[in-house]
Amino acid sequence: MRRPTAIPMPEGSAAPAAGARPPRAFAPSDVAPVTPQVESYSEPPPAEAALPPPPRPRWLVRMLWTTAGLLVSLALGLALDALLANLFAASPWLGWAGLAVLALFLLAALALLVRELAALWRLRALDRLRARAAAILLDDNLDAAAAVLAELAALYAPRPDLARALARLEAGRPQLFDGAELLRFAERTLMAPLDARARALTALSARRVALVTAVSPRALVDIAYVVWESVRLGGAIARLYGARPGLWGAWRLLSAILGHLAVTGGLVLTDGVVEQLVGQGLAARLSQRLGEGVVNGLMTVRVGIAAMRVVRPLAFTTEPAPAVRDFLSDLAGALRPGETA
Amino acid sequence: MPQAPTTITDEIGIALHNLADAAAAPFTPTLRLGVTGLSRAGKTVFITALVHDLLTGGKLPGFGPLAEGRLISARLAESPDAGIPRFAYEQHLAALTGPAPFWPESTRRISELRLSLRFRSRGWLGAWSGPATLNLDIVDYPGEWLLDLPLLSLGFAEWSAQALARARRAGAPPEAAAFLAAAGSLDATAPASEPDAQRLAGTFTAYLRASRSDRHALSALPPGRFLMPGDLEGTPALTFAPLPPPSSTPRHSSLYAMLERRYEAYKDIVVRPFFRDHFARLDRQIVLVDTLRALNAGPAAVSDLESALTDILACFRQGDGSPLLRLVSRRIDRILFAATKADHVHRASHDRLEAILNRLVARAARRAKFAGATTSSVALAAVRATREGRAGDLDVIIGTPEAGEVLDGTTYDGSTEIALFPGDLPASPDAAFDAAAPIELRFLRFLPPRRLERNDEGEPLLPHIRLDRALDFLIGDRLK
Repeated sequence: MRRPTAIPMPEGSAAPAAGARPPRAFAPSDVAPVTPQVESYSEPPPAEAALPPPPRPRWLVRMLWTTAGLLVSLALGLALDALLANLFAASPWLGWAGLAVLALFLLAALALLVRELAALWRLRALDRLRARAAAILLDDNLDAAAAVLAELAALYAPRPDLARALARLEAGRPQLFDGAELLRFAERTLMAPLDARARALTALSARRVALVTAVSPRALVDIAYVVWESVRLGGAIARLYGARPGLWGAWRLLSAILGHLAVTGGLVLTDGVVEQLVGQGLAARLSQRLGEGVVNGLMTVRVGIAAMRVVRPLAFTTEPAPAVRDFLSDLAGALRPGETA
Repeated sequence: MPQAPTTITDEIGIALHNLADAAAAPFTPTLRLGVTGLSRAGKTVFITALVHDLLTGGKLPGFGPLAEGRLISARLAESPDAGIPRFAYEQHLAALTGPAPFWPESTRRISELRLSLRFRSRGWLGAWSGPATLNLDIVDYPGEWLLDLPLLSLGFAEWSAQALARARRAGAPPEAAAFLAAAGSLDATAPASEPDAQRLAGTFTAYLRASRSDRHALSALPPGRFLMPGDLEGTPALTFAPLPPPSSTPRHSSLYAMLERRYEAYKDIVVRPFFRDHFARLDRQIVLVDTLRALNAGPAAVSDLESALTDILACFRQGDGSPLLRLVSRRIDRILFAATKADHVHRASHDRLEAILNRLVARAARRAKFAGATTSSVALAAVRATREGRAGDLDVIIGTPEAGEVLDGTTYDGSTEIALFPGDLPASPDAAFDAAAPIELRFLRFLPPRRLERNDEGEPLLPHIRLDRALDFLIGDRLK
């Protein structure tokens, strides 16, 4: 171990000791001031096991679908080929026009495919982000938190409604020295306004479902409406948190939501049995149609909550997690005369 | 046998005070924050920065109620105790934020401040009841006085034995020898004489003062009023010193008996009222530890700091009492251990600084946890005096050292800015206690930051490190 040495200016003249480096002083002109820098951070994909993976179809079933798809594609290709040949036989310019239309069709299909893949990728990126954030809350790694924050900022950068929140996030960042603190700050700043809007969307959907169920003439109509409204709500919440799911994305999202609902057995985790009973009791006290409306509304609320949990890029830590009881008053209000607007 | 720190009368008084507070609590609850730290740990700066940041809604992104927008405002309220001077917040802030900023002078007397926080609760009750108010009471006092608290449970003979053992150990300054010689030359059983007592007390005080200098940086130096006498200077209660045990039972008129009486009087007049009025009724506690100053002085100072902290913290009433019991007996249910002056090392070293702090307070923290209190530790700087930079392959801090600070023969004039690499903190906290392998570290004192940012109202914003996290831990849950 060496004595503390003061080396005036010349940089690099003091060779650092093997283990501990001795104290040194520099003139500020020799020093490059650093702002906290975000290092590119990569982490092995965490073993995410919050939700059980959806059951995989068995290989026989997979082979059935694959071969069926192959056959349909072959038939389509053959039909197209025949169509083009017929067109060329009728008149050459008709054939060329057909070929051009086909090219445009393929181009559009390709573009759609790319968009869908991008949407799927975004959904998966949100999942990965959430898993990484959960790990940081435990190990308090500042660099990793900065990387997560940079990804969040990039995700929400095109959103005009979050400009102010992003500016606040940027302003508060230099004051924070711990990874976990940084993430909690990001949740308070970025997620809180989105949570409020997601709750409003859920409440609105639930009220609509309750109302439609109460006035609809046939049970089939309610069921169709509940399904449609659930899909719409899931998509709206996903778009709100920055997922922008396409067609397949929406399908995957819906299966994730349903999977979440199945895992929690219809009970959202933060809810007790009490709220469920309150819901039932409330329903029983009203007339049959109104009661069904409340039950369907509660179902929509659960879908909304599950969607929030599935697509939110940071898990609920500082903000209160949504619970069915938060929406009970909304539902009751929807069915009270005079408040239906 | 250890004595109880308080008398029955004290206990009744404390219980009555607590009852009165509990009666007022439903309207405006009061939170008493104990800012604990030895002298130069940074209590005054911490309180000033905390009050200023809450008043101005400063940069506190990690403080939940403020980040969630539920903290409406804070203001300085009328002090509850008319007999105690108000904390000179304005003067201290002026010192920190003036054109030529300097650190507030060391505290010489006790002072108190009450801060009223207006906030909205997040619970379902908050939606009905509207904004709520929480009073935050903070006391500032000379850190030396804290050293007296362990005396409450020590008799004169026990204290004498401890103090003499401390004076004899290897790291003690040369003045200790003069005191020991004076104590050895006196016959404790001889009839008391005032000149003897004064001479002995004089050499004892000189030894205590020398131990406190930066070169030795020793901490466990009771009695504290010998270092910071206040208005008791020269009174009999402050004219005593430890004596070796007498060979025979001392008579009532002997020197030994007289010094013993004075020691007990010191406890009755000085220590017990201080403890009863300010420390027996705390809700939250932050323990500020100047780890870097002890590391600067070496392993002897570090282990001395550890034993001083452990002894002092044993005096506080920690634990999680039942709500019914809390009506009459207040207990500290949250304790934050803070390594202050974290701005004197680069952020890459904060983890190691925290590890050393944890090692220092390990015994105290274990006892607090056993009693049921929640503890946490943090490396913080209430006012951040430096910036960070990089020179070659070294992480350095950039700041202006105080005039008179010396590093390797260069004496700084208080206006040149330098970049300092203070050395690596040890990876294993135990290395700081190891006298056989001293660590190469040198921390300079830096001046407070100049050219502060200002907020929209023109109030200066004090930069800090983790003050928001400390606040969130200490009072955040009471603003839920």
